[in-house]
Amino acid sequence: MGIRIENISKSFGRLRVLDDFSLNLEKGKVHCLFGPSGCGKTTLLNIIAGIEKPDSGQVMYDEDIRISYIFQEDRLLPWLSAEENILFVMEKEDKQIADKYLDIVGLSGFSHYLPTELSGGMKQRVSIARALCCQPDILIMDEPFKGLDHQLKKQMMDHIKDYMKTKKVTALFVTHELWEAEYMADIIYSLKGLPLAII
Amino acid sequence: MKDSTTQDRLMISKNKAVFKAGVLLFWLLIWQAAYLAIGNELYMPAPLDVIRRLGELLKEESFYVSVAYSVIRVFSGIALSVFFGVLLGIVSGMNDIVYQILNPAIVVIKSTPVMSFIIIALIWFSSSISAIFICFLMCFPIIWTGTVQGIKNVDKKLVEMGRVYRVNKSKMIRGIYIPSLKPYFTAALTTAIGLGWKVTVAAEVLSSPKNSIGENLFSAKAYLDSVSLFSWTVVVIMLSFLFEGSLSGLMKKRVPSRSSLSSRIPLSTRREDDGN
Repeated sequence: MGIRIENISKSFGRLRVLDDFSLNLEKGKVHCLFGPSGCGKTTLLNIIAGIEKPDSGQVMYDEDIRISYIFQEDRLLPWLSAEENILFVMEKEDKQIADKYLDIVGLSGFSHYLPTELSGGMKQRVSIARALCCQPDILIMDEPFKGLDHQLKKQMMDHIKDYMKTKKVTALFVTHELWEAEYMADIIYSLKGLPLAII
Repeated sequence: MKDSTTQDRLMISKNKAVFKAGVLLFWLLIWQAAYLAIGNELYMPAPLDVIRRLGELLKEESFYVSVAYSVIRVFSGIALSVFFGVLLGIVSGMNDIVYQILNPAIVVIKSTPVMSFIIIALIWFSSSISAIFICFLMCFPIIWTGTVQGIKNVDKKLVEMGRVYRVNKSKMIRGIYIPSLKPYFTAALTTAIGLGWKVTVAAEVLSSPKNSIGENLFSAKAYLDSVSLFSWTVVVIMLSFLFEGSLSGLMKKRVPSRSSLSSRIPLSTRREDDGN
């Protein structure tokens, strides 16, 4: 399932972030949005995920598809363990699957740890595991590797790349780093703003 | 290593208990000094007389009956305020129109003197029901306000995360809203229990329902029996502490604290491999 973004506009007060913005995202491809901070990339991701509503225009995809979102921040529930955080978003709670994805991101021994007991990078990896375990049709990633060291970043990128290829996930990936964009993406959109525009 | 930690903990708790006993003794001495300075048992009875009277009360069956009925009234009033306060608090926290409708009523209840409500309640209800009604009326705004604050302070980013992942409503309530609400609710309930005791006993004093602490306080006042008056007051204070203590124990038991969870997992296995 691809995504069609048609003539979207969005303003926050007097700040026009998106102005008649359109984009087609192909099914099963990794699309990278590459551009400077504050150009409106996160707003676009939030509109696609349904967190924000556009002032005008529309985002089109099948209603029954599953979306996973790796946010800039981990957004883990602080009172639940790493494993419980993953189970929380699963339609049918399955500890084995949750543990499998924790293992994939290198956190197999930490399933019972609370987010407050994990480092920033570990929390981000739990949020990556949470996103993958839901078997998403669309994977949205907003600087998902922030806070990870180079080696770990590359490991995570390889896991996600493999996952997306096998499952044919349509992915949208935001980064500031060109090498990340080139390593991960099938299609790279270089952006400027505001309002957001493809260069 | 484990033994020394346990010993340290025992030592700390022992020291705390000794310190608390010292504080209690200090205030008893102040009380005794005040008694000696005033020199009139009607105004200020001696602490030993009050303790002796308490001992006598504990031997009487009617004491337990009065305490039991008052506890039931306080418990009923608080239970009602928790039920309606949480229910309407959640709705008000999520819907601004409901909040705008209910808020003026809450402000009015908070600003009205308790005595006015007690007199109105005495006209409307029987003496026993009046005490329950007053307890409910005074505790409800506290629970409601705490619940509204809790709901309004739920981390919106977590709610957004839940919505993106299409987590169902009941799971969202159990997983996000209730844990976020807990500290606000606990604080509100603790305040409500303290206030609940005060207003219920005040209502009992004015309405004098049969078998109540208030009735005993009223008779002590009528017979100028200051020793009994102080003894019953001590009973009310101790019951209020007991209620609050049981509540905080219950809340800790229901949701395991972070430290109790950590103790199940060896922290030595934790890795700091991310360079963060």
